[in-house]
Amino acid sequence: MQNQLASFLSQLLESPANQKGLDWLQKQIEKINNEGTPSKFFLAFSQASRYFKKEKLEHSVDQIHQAGELVPAFQPQFWDQLQVARTLLMLSYPQVKDPWFTTMNQLFETADMHEHQSLFAALPLMPFQEDLIPRAIDGLRTNISLVFDAIALNNPFPAKYFPEANWNQMVLKAIFMQRPLYRIQGLEERRNPALAAIARDFAHERWAAGREVMPEIWRLVAPFVNEEYFEDLKKALSTKDNLQENAALLTIRESAYSPAKKVLDAYSTQVAKLDMDAIAWESIGTEFQRTRV
Amino acid sequence: MYIDPHIHLVSRTTDDYEAMQKAGIVAVIEPAFWLGQPRTEVGSFKDYFSTLVGWERFRSSQFGIVHYCTMGLNSKEANNEALAEQVMELLPLYVGKEGVVAIGEIGYDDQTEAEDRFFRLQLELAKEVELPVLIHTPHRDKHKGTIRSMDVSEEHGLDPKMVIVDHNNEETVKEVLDRGYYAGFTIYPHTKMGSERMVEIVRQYGPERIIVNSAADWGISDPLAVPKTADLMRKSGIPEEHIKLVTYQNALTAFGQSGQMDEKDWLNASPLDQTKKLGGNSVLRGGQTPRVEGSSDFVEN
Repeated sequence: MQNQLASFLSQLLESPANQKGLDWLQKQIEKINNEGTPSKFFLAFSQASRYFKKEKLEHSVDQIHQAGELVPAFQPQFWDQLQVARTLLMLSYPQVKDPWFTTMNQLFETADMHEHQSLFAALPLMPFQEDLIPRAIDGLRTNISLVFDAIALNNPFPAKYFPEANWNQMVLKAIFMQRPLYRIQGLEERRNPALAAIARDFAHERWAAGREVMPEIWRLVAPFVNEEYFEDLKKALSTKDNLQENAALLTIRESAYSPAKKVLDAYSTQVAKLDMDAIAWESIGTEFQRTRV
Repeated sequence: MYIDPHIHLVSRTTDDYEAMQKAGIVAVIEPAFWLGQPRTEVGSFKDYFSTLVGWERFRSSQFGIVHYCTMGLNSKEANNEALAEQVMELLPLYVGKEGVVAIGEIGYDDQTEAEDRFFRLQLELAKEVELPVLIHTPHRDKHKGTIRSMDVSEEHGLDPKMVIVDHNNEETVKEVLDRGYYAGFTIYPHTKMGSERMVEIVRQYGPERIIVNSAADWGISDPLAVPKTADLMRKSGIPEEHIKLVTYQNALTAFGQSGQMDEKDWLNASPLDQTKKLGGNSVLRGGQTPRVEGSSDFVEN
C-alpha cells in the first residue's frame, strides 16, 4: 500500500520543469528510508518548500479515479505540489509503530502552517489511522483556516473515524468559520438529529443578532424536518434571498414532512429549476462563498 | 513601501497591525527573543518558536503584511544553561522552516561565559544551514560587547556580509560598517535611538548597509518607528533613494541571503482583502467585518 501510494504520488508530481526538485526529493526519500533518522526527515520536510511550489497539481481524470481506488474518497486534485512532495517524504519514513509516532508527534508539534496543512490532509494516507483520531480532533482547534480546511474539507478521514460529538463540533465550526460545507466529505451520510438541532440553534442566534444565516446549514436539517424546523424553513423562505429560498426548498423537497410539501407547489417554477440534491447544494455553497464570505 | 526588519509582533495589537499596513509597511521580521518573563521549560520555547512560524505569520497575513522570523536562543536565557542546552536541540527543527530568514537574535547581554558558549554554538549552526545571523548587542557595556560579537563571529569564519549587527549607536556604527557588517539601528525611545539622531547618522555615513528598525515589543515602543523615521529623513532633505535603502532595500538584501525572503512575496500577493482571507473566524471572530476606515462611536455587529 505504502509503495503503491508513493508511486502514484510520484507520478502526480512528475514535471520536466522541476527536475532539480524531483532529484532532490528522490535523494531525501532514499536517505530517510534507509537511515530512518528523524533529524534528516524533519529537515527535508521543512526544506521541501524550497523545491516545490504551492501550485495546484496538474492531473488527469484517470489519475483522480486511480486516487479514489487507492484510498476511498482521496481527492489529490485539491492538493498542491508541496503537499504531495511532503506526503512522499512522510510515506518514506519507516512505519514501525512506536518510533513512527514519536517522530510524527514531534513533527506535528513543531510544524508551521503549510507543514500542518500537508500533514493533516495526508491523514487518510497514513498508517495506524485509528491511533491518529485524537491528533485530527486536536488539529481542529486551530483558527488558521488553511489548517482547518486540510482536515475538514475534501478529506475522508473525519467522516470515517470521528465519533458523533467530534463530527458535530467540526461541522459547527465549519459553519461558524463560513467554510463551504459541500466540501465536507460524508456530510449527508453523517447527518444526525443532534447536529440538526445545533444548526437550528445557530440559525436562531444569527437571526437574533440580525445576521445572515449560511444557507447550506439547512441541508443538515432535511432528514429531520418536523413542525419546528418547518417554521425555520418558512422564515428562510421569507427572506426573499434567492440562496436562502433555494436552500429551504431543497430541504423541504428532500424531507419526509408532508405538511411542508404544499410549499413546493407555491414555488413550483423555482423548484422545477433546482438541480439534483448534491449538485444544487454545491452551487448554493459556491455562490454563497463567492458573494457573501 | 517599508520593511520593519526587527519587531516583536507577539506583543502587539491588531490596531498596530492596521496602522503599520496603512503607513506602508509591507513586510516584517520577528526575531526570536525573550518574553520578559524568563522561561523555565523547553516546551515554552517550542510553542514560542511554533508561534513565530505559525499563528503570528498567519495573523500578520490577515493585515496584508508578510511575516518572517529569525530563530535562536537569546543571550539572556542562555544563562540558564541546562535549559539552553535543550533549546539548542530544538533549534534544528525550526531553522529550515519557511520564512526563517536568519539565526537570531543572538549575542551578548551580560557577556557571561554561558552567553559566549551558546553564541558560538549558534554561529556554527548558522554556517551549517547557510543562514544570515542577527546579532543583538548589549545595552550595558555596548561598545565592548559589539566589538566582541564581531571578533567572535570572525573567529568562527562568518562572512561579515552575512551578519547584521543590531542596536547600533553613534559609538559603534563606524567600526561595524568599516568591518563590512550590516548595521541595524533601533528607533526605540530612551534606551536606544531617537529618529533625529538616526537622520544625522544617515547624513554622516550614507545609506550603505544601514538598516532602520523599531524593535517594538512589550515595552513603550513604536511600531511605526520605521515610516516615521523615513518621514523625518524626507523633511530633513535626505535623498529618496537613501531613504529607500535604509528603510527597505538593505534589509531585503541582507535577509534575502537566506533564500527565504523575496520581494515577490508582497508585490505579487493578492490585494488586501481581509474578508476573503479570514474565512469568517480567525482574528476576527464570529463573522465580524474588518474595520475599514475612520473611527466611530459604535462597535460593529
